[in-house]
Amino acid sequence: MTQTMTPPATAAVALRGVSRTYGTGPAAVRAVDRVDLDFRRGTWTAVMGPSGSGKSTLLHCAAGLERVDAGQVLLGDTDIGTAGDAELTALRRERIGFVFQSFNLLGALTAEQNVALPLRLAGRRPSRSEVRAVLAAVGLADRARHRPRELSGGQQQRVAIARAMVTRPDVLFADEPTGALDSTTARTVLGLLRAVVDGGQTIVMVTHDPAAAAHADGVVFLRDGRVVDRLAGASARDVADRLVTLER
Amino acid sequence: MLRLSWSTFTERWPLFVGAALTVCLGVALVQSSLLVLISVATLDAPAGLSTTELAGFAESVEVGVTLSALTLAFSAFLTVFIVGSTFAFTVAQRRRDLALLRLAGGGRGQLRRLLLSEAVLLGGIGTAAGVPVGLAVMAFQSWLLGALGFVPPGFTPQWRTWILGVSVGVGLAVAVAGVLVAARRASRVQPLEALRDSGEAARVMTAGRWGAGGLFGAGAVALVVLSPLGGAGGGQAMAVNAALCAAVAFSALSPLLVPGIARLLPAQAGGVLAELAGANLRDGVRRSASIAAPLIVLVGLLLGQTAALTSFATAAAAEQRRGTSGDLVVEATGAAAGPWVSGVPGVAATSTELTVPISVTRGTGEDAETERGAALVVDPAAYERFHPGTAGLAGLRGRAAAAGPGGDAGSPGETVAVRAGGADLGPLLVVAAAPARIGGGANLLLPAGLVPEHELADAPSRTFVALHPGADGMAVAAAVAAVGEVHTVDEWSARDAAARDAMSTSVLLVIMGLGGVYALIGVINAVVVGASARRPEFAAARAAGLSRGQVVRSALLESWAVTVIGLLLGVLAAGTTFLAVLATTAVVTGAATLAVPWPFVLTVCVGAFLVTGATSVITSMSATRTLPVALLGSRE
Repeated sequence: MTQTMTPPATAAVALRGVSRTYGTGPAAVRAVDRVDLDFRRGTWTAVMGPSGSGKSTLLHCAAGLERVDAGQVLLGDTDIGTAGDAELTALRRERIGFVFQSFNLLGALTAEQNVALPLRLAGRRPSRSEVRAVLAAVGLADRARHRPRELSGGQQQRVAIARAMVTRPDVLFADEPTGALDSTTARTVLGLLRAVVDGGQTIVMVTHDPAAAAHADGVVFLRDGRVVDRLAGASARDVADRLVTLER
Repeated sequence: MLRLSWSTFTERWPLFVGAALTVCLGVALVQSSLLVLISVATLDAPAGLSTTELAGFAESVEVGVTLSALTLAFSAFLTVFIVGSTFAFTVAQRRRDLALLRLAGGGRGQLRRLLLSEAVLLGGIGTAAGVPVGLAVMAFQSWLLGALGFVPPGFTPQWRTWILGVSVGVGLAVAVAGVLVAARRASRVQPLEALRDSGEAARVMTAGRWGAGGLFGAGAVALVVLSPLGGAGGGQAMAVNAALCAAVAFSALSPLLVPGIARLLPAQAGGVLAELAGANLRDGVRRSASIAAPLIVLVGLLLGQTAALTSFATAAAAEQRRGTSGDLVVEATGAAAGPWVSGVPGVAATSTELTVPISVTRGTGEDAETERGAALVVDPAAYERFHPGTAGLAGLRGRAAAAGPGGDAGSPGETVAVRAGGADLGPLLVVAAAPARIGGGANLLLPAGLVPEHELADAPSRTFVALHPGADGMAVAAAVAAVGEVHTVDEWSARDAAARDAMSTSVLLVIMGLGGVYALIGVINAVVVGASARRPEFAAARAAGLSRGQVVRSALLESWAVTVIGLLLGVLAAGTTFLAVLATTAVVTGAATLAVPWPFVLTVCVGAFLVTGATSVITSMSATRTLPVALLGSRE
């Protein structure tokens, strides 16, 4: 069942004719090819596709981590495709959060220092209780003083989510957030992400796991850098079937 | 930000301890060299010295000042180079952390401020430790200068409070300058590229490196080309500095040269461990280049300086021998020995040369410059007879002088004001010039009769003696021994060569001794910093089936391969000095001379292998102490 995605007026992030090519000449690879896509405010969208379909590049372009060759990337009303470094930095502090497969915590800092980092970089001095509350929300109140290497993979990812959420960003970009976790831990992390969306924020998540995608409100399928299909409210089986069809 | 710096410091202390150590030793060396230099330069002569003793004291001070200034220059160069490369390497090792900071909303300015505040912190710690260490270094340096006779007896360096300002300035300035470029570059890299280590973040050969490599490379070539045109003194200075320029150029280009040369090493022949080592060496370009850089500078400078000093000493000795004829040399005191020797039966001819201290004023008015030196009081005809190659001294009589083999005191046609000992000789016309010698010598030749006799009473004299054919040399030698020390010209020449060699070694020890140790610590530091980030990589290798011993051996092979390349490039850098030495000696002495002290070269090579090998084994043992599964399970 293919459905039309959200109307542009309520989009947290909108991609308009976005293309991104790597390399030049005969070796050039168009990772994202003229994509038009809206991610509605307060929803959770999973981006799926076979290996090399361009889903990570799409995420990075949408998050302003990669420059697009053509098209527009709108975060609300802001065209981040043309934003300068200072503006992108400010966006990362206030309106965008990231969660990666490999957690990407700063090894030298404790869990609470990692969580407080975006606020401190923005010039704020968060109170300990404020930071602890966010850690408590991801179930890690008792791990605040631990460094990443003293935490399990699932715990590290929960710290990463807490760090991404502490500024209450408009959009959270998640790149395979459960890719390095066992299924039980993955469910916990996905539950946390659902709570984030229920709180009114937007999540764009790249995943290869149909079970994870089934937690999202909608799924966008990519192949060869183009959007080839969309699903809303699909089960893990529906997603898996669609993926198998695409990979044929 | 300061708290973040502190957290990073406590987490990555080996990285920072190494950086602070380089600042500490650099500050200590510069502070000590400067204090020794100022103390020597401001040394007052003891009361009651005779004119000759005063001249000797002044000469000793001059030698002390020259050597201390060279030591200071060398220390300052090494401090800037080693601190700069170490700090840049520590910034490069933290690319991932910096990228994560950018992803969490860190601005470029914040990253720069973070890195600069860390540099100030480390510079401050290094300086605080460097000041007291500098006192110990100063005690050693002044002892060494005294023991080798380069400063007047009883010399003790003086502490000056203002040096604290200099040390703090040096410590902070080199630390901040060291990270400035690296911080600017790190903050400009896109976060995603730094995380993936791709694009701009992966580029090791920066524009700055190309620029420095090109500039210093051109400098080295220019010095080699120009050295034969610089004359005896200028040629030597240019030859020594050629290796320095080439070493800096090769260090700057090391990210290009090290992996390039690594491809030529026979990695496949050494089995899987050697193959892994070779791949790691080429892949870890930043690490390999950072270890090779101080090694190139250490080897290039040590070999270049040593070969230059030894070669010029050898050339000077050979030139001295070629430029001296006769059978015997009698060394005595005062003007009376010469005439007495010429009266001994069997003596056909003599040339007596008395050394007197002089001060020569060139130019007039505001342009007047006075230099101290030495003059030989000679009989011009006899001098020409015993010094083949010397001609045109016939006019050296009355109120005239000739430029001596040491030069620097006037050219033919010039009038110079001369004081010899305590006597003012007034203006003298320079009428001729003895050939300039690479080994130096007297600055002026003065005709006998010009210098008052009382000034010559204590003057050291050297009388060259030619015997009648068939005269009994032994008997003549025994007879003239009554007035002084007698040697055959060959013996005297050999003794002179040995003295020049000993002097070269002493000069090398003073200028390069502590600097060499500092550069070696720079190498060790780079190996330690390089290994500190390799725990996950080693863990992955063990997970792939390598035993701990195999991982350590592979790291050792990699370290030794970098050492081979560093030594090779260091020898190539020294090669520019070799070329300049050959060109200079060929032009100045007529015979191209190069004396490479092979035992010393061998010692440096073996020492480098031992030091990098031992450091590599210790650091990789330490990095593989944790079970791999524990490291791989916790990526952060």
